[in-house]
Amino acid sequence: MAPAKGLGDVATAPDDAQIVRRVLGGDVDAYGILVARYRDRFARYAVQMLGDREDAEEAMQDAFVRAYRSLATCRDPGRFGPWLFRILVNRCRTRVVLRQRRSRTFVRDELALESAGVAPTDERGAWREEIERALAALDPLYREAFLLKHVEELEYEEMAKLTGVRVSALKMRVKRACDRLRDLLQEVQSAAR
Amino acid sequence: MKQRRLIVRLGLVVAAVSVVAGPAAAQDPRLTGRLDAGTRAAVEAALDSARAQGLPADPLVTKALEGASKGATGARIVSAVRRLAGELASARTMLGYASTTEELVAGAAALRAGAGPSALQRVRAVRPGAPVAVHLAVLADLLADGVPPDTAAAAVIALARATVRDADLVAFRQSVDRDIALGASPGSAATVRVNSTARADAFTNTTPNAPPRRRP
Amino acid sequence: MRHDSEDLVARAAAELRQPTGLSAGFDARVMAAVRQARRPSRWVLAWEWVREPRLVALSPLGGLAMAASVAALVTLGVWAAVPRGVTPGVASSSAELGEVVQFVLHAPAARAVAIAGDFNGWDAERTPLVAAGSGVWSVALRLAPGRYTYTFVVDGTRFVADPAAPRAVGDDFGTPSSVVTVGRGTMDQGRAS
Repeated sequence: MAPAKGLGDVATAPDDAQIVRRVLGGDVDAYGILVARYRDRFARYAVQMLGDREDAEEAMQDAFVRAYRSLATCRDPGRFGPWLFRILVNRCRTRVVLRQRRSRTFVRDELALESAGVAPTDERGAWREEIERALAALDPLYREAFLLKHVEELEYEEMAKLTGVRVSALKMRVKRACDRLRDLLQEVQSAAR
Repeated sequence: MKQRRLIVRLGLVVAAVSVVAGPAAAQDPRLTGRLDAGTRAAVEAALDSARAQGLPADPLVTKALEGASKGATGARIVSAVRRLAGELASARTMLGYASTTEELVAGAAALRAGAGPSALQRVRAVRPGAPVAVHLAVLADLLADGVPPDTAAAAVIALARATVRDADLVAFRQSVDRDIALGASPGSAATVRVNSTARADAFTNTTPNAPPRRRP
Repeated sequence: MRHDSEDLVARAAAELRQPTGLSAGFDARVMAAVRQARRPSRWVLAWEWVREPRLVALSPLGGLAMAASVAALVTLGVWAAVPRGVTPGVASSSAELGEVVQFVLHAPAARAVAIAGDFNGWDAERTPLVAAGSGVWSVALRLAPGRYTYTFVVDGTRFVADPAAPRAVGDDFGTPSSVVTVGRGTMDQGRAS
């Protein structure tokens, strides 16, 4: 299945706007349809941004609850997905700041500690692990920009709306993220030869 | 005669206004209700003295409020305020009279933590016209971590010379903290990290820091 | 080699686009939290929106417009969050926005936690922390660039240094304090924070 390009292309049947109207009308259970619809897509971003599945699930739960609480302020219910994603991006940012304040170790070390006891047995697993380490070594703002552009495959204008950052600054962050990732992954590849 | 009486009366009015206005202008409203009268008077005198020397009063007020918040005795509060005033004056001698309040506060912290006076001068010399508050704050923190003064100063000056961004200065200090927590000696941690920080920042640093704000 | 290196990032992105699983019961947990959450009134949401720390992109004109609006509200006496007296550390212009710093303390036995420091006139009553669950207390403050000394105040009487921050050197009053350093655009580059 080809990855969806841009959040606006996510399947709209049943219509997000109709579900939002039902929820606002009192049908709380209908919100579960929206949760099921978006959780996998957003899980990918949250886990890679935070480098920790538990943190990511908490951030996602937080985002879904906040979205529910402020559903009445969603100006365009037909674009619930991008609106929710914006909330999730902000939740992930808050968690990054929270983690940097609470912990004396960087994200990459937490990832290393977590995976320390589980050695990948296959080449694919090892490659994945190296990518995740490299990703975790990026400055959070570069990581965010890289994930939004190259993993979530958003257009720069969409990214600008999500993050509130100018397109030119986003392009610079993406370029630097790519340069840094390339350096890190090349080091790994050279060492493996 | 009438004219002389008028002049005398005017003079008395001016003198009365001066007496009333003088002490009122010196009183900092932030101290209201936080210090007993005796302590407040002594702190206000220290503030006046600082202002007369052109030193910023805000950090001194903050120090007094810190003491009040922590339930310190009046004597201890006054002593702390005077000590800080002295440190701010020393920092200003090293950093120059155009230094911002933030630079003086960070410089004072670095001096208290054990930085040599020449360290502050060298940091300023490496970055003329550019803000150095974060550099000095990092210097203070490194010294507090136990990094030897010469090593700490050399590290901060190297990073200043490499025009490392504020964010990376703070991250450098966090890295040193972590390495020390993992068992590295403070001096080695600082030396190793300064090299990688300066190298990494060479890839990303394109924004020169803005020139310092001058204190009013 | 050049061909390999250019492919590396593209290959990494492709790997990262693989779906990420979530733990079993995620949907159920989210819906349980949603059902417990009440949807507040628009006024409460508006107030929470005002209080929430956020990263905002402001053009120079936008900054002027916002400053003018704030000035108008201050004049009308409606803006309840205006701090008393001069508050060093509260950013006052787009040129010195510094960063939003999250202060966190784990104090499960505490009934109330506040923070006192250079940024709030050492007045703990002005800045209570919010219980975030599991014994964690937190507050986010926007701080202008500078170096700040602070301490947590537990149950109004006990001074506790921040375990996640450096200690203030040579404390003048015999109680522990911590320091935080905020640089210019520490979490950001190219836009107002």
